[in-house]
Amino acid sequence: MSLLELRRVSRFHTRGSRRVEVLREASLEIDAGELVAVWGLRRSGRSTLLAVAAGVDPPDAGEVLFEGADLNARGTTALGNGIGYCRPIAGRPGGRSVIEDVCAGLLARGVPPLDAQSRAQRALERVGVEPCSELASGELDAAETMRVAIACTLVFGPRLLVIDEPTKGVDLLDRDEIILLLRSLANSGIAVLVSDGDGSGLSDADRSLSLAGGLLRGKTSPELSTVVPLARAGGRITAA
Amino acid sequence: MQAESDYSFALMGGRVKSERSLPMRSTVNWTVLGLVIEHSSYGFELWKRYEREYGDMAPNVSGSNIYAALNVLKDKGLIEERVETRKAPDGAARLRKSHYRATQEGLVAYEGWVIAQAREHDRRSRQFARQLGAFERQPQIALAILERYGQACLDDKDARIPTTAQFPSPVTPELGDQLASAYGREVKAATLGWIEYARRKFEALASKETPLP
Repeated sequence: MSLLELRRVSRFHTRGSRRVEVLREASLEIDAGELVAVWGLRRSGRSTLLAVAAGVDPPDAGEVLFEGADLNARGTTALGNGIGYCRPIAGRPGGRSVIEDVCAGLLARGVPPLDAQSRAQRALERVGVEPCSELASGELDAAETMRVAIACTLVFGPRLLVIDEPTKGVDLLDRDEIILLLRSLANSGIAVLVSDGDGSGLSDADRSLSLAGGLLRGKTSPELSTVVPLARAGGRITAA
Repeated sequence: MQAESDYSFALMGGRVKSERSLPMRSTVNWTVLGLVIEHSSYGFELWKRYEREYGDMAPNVSGSNIYAALNVLKDKGLIEERVETRKAPDGAARLRKSHYRATQEGLVAYEGWVIAQAREHDRRSRQFARQLGAFERQPQIALAILERYGQACLDDKDARIPTTAQFPSPVTPELGDQLASAYGREVKAATLGWIEYARRKFEALASKETPLP
């Protein structure tokens, strides 16, 4: 059983009187420790695919299974309970400090403040932005913002990380570092699913897929991959 | 700048007057010249660097190929050799070691060759795109080719980001490795975009196809 499984998932959008099929019976399986990149042009549906895979949006047809359970069954809330999801947002509130941002989700779930602070600090160190912890979120550049967004999900110990366009808006020379961070997260055993509009992550992913006209192309299952992920190979997995 | 004009003359196929002005076609020779420009060095080190940086693209190049290339480059005045002599550890004999560095003429020639290579690469890519147009009346064949090409493009791992972990200590990724990998990633995204464009064109043609009577 794969960690995440999309079974013949379809999703429609309406534009005025028109009904547009954004995903056409897309199937996809991802195992623990895999980094999977989905390339697509703008408006190809890549963000929709990721939102559906993370359980943020329900599919109009088909099933999304996480650890064998249907993500869209009533009462299922995998977001924050095994799945972390990041997407680019335009403009961030500038008032709160980075460490407060990362702690916020934990505090909302009743984690004691000192414990939340400590977990947030560790997550910021893990993604390489610990020196920014006291800065206001609005002071960060795009690469730092993405790292902090990843830290916000890491504090919950996700087994699957879904990141929509991790290198969007990131300076050319900083993109490699973001991809290498994602690679190291996958090497530590987390399944990582990313969308890609600029090709940054395609070569370092275990599997690269393309999405166009609603169709997902490429090796959609780990069995079809030529690269065996560490978790599947039984190799020693260590956090980088 | 006399050197540059002499060299250009040879490249353009002008009348050959001397060995020095004969055009150099061997990719190995040009690659070795690039390595010498990158770091002036000794024959053995250049050979090892060739294997590490270009071994995957141009395998089966032996040490004698590298020394032959160095001789050609020296004869053409593109590099110069400095022989160093040292006492052997036993003090009995003297060791001779050749150190190579690029000349100004070599630098200018290499610059011209690199640009010519990039143009040739572009020309071949456009040629492939044009040749696919031959399937205008058989769009299904073109779509099958595009499917396979797209899959190969997605599966290609050659443009991985070079990391220190991939290189034996104390060697770190060279600038050339980083540039090659970044180029590969940018080209991959552009190629996937082009494949999608071509696919839509041929799908449109396929939808208009009428069955043979």
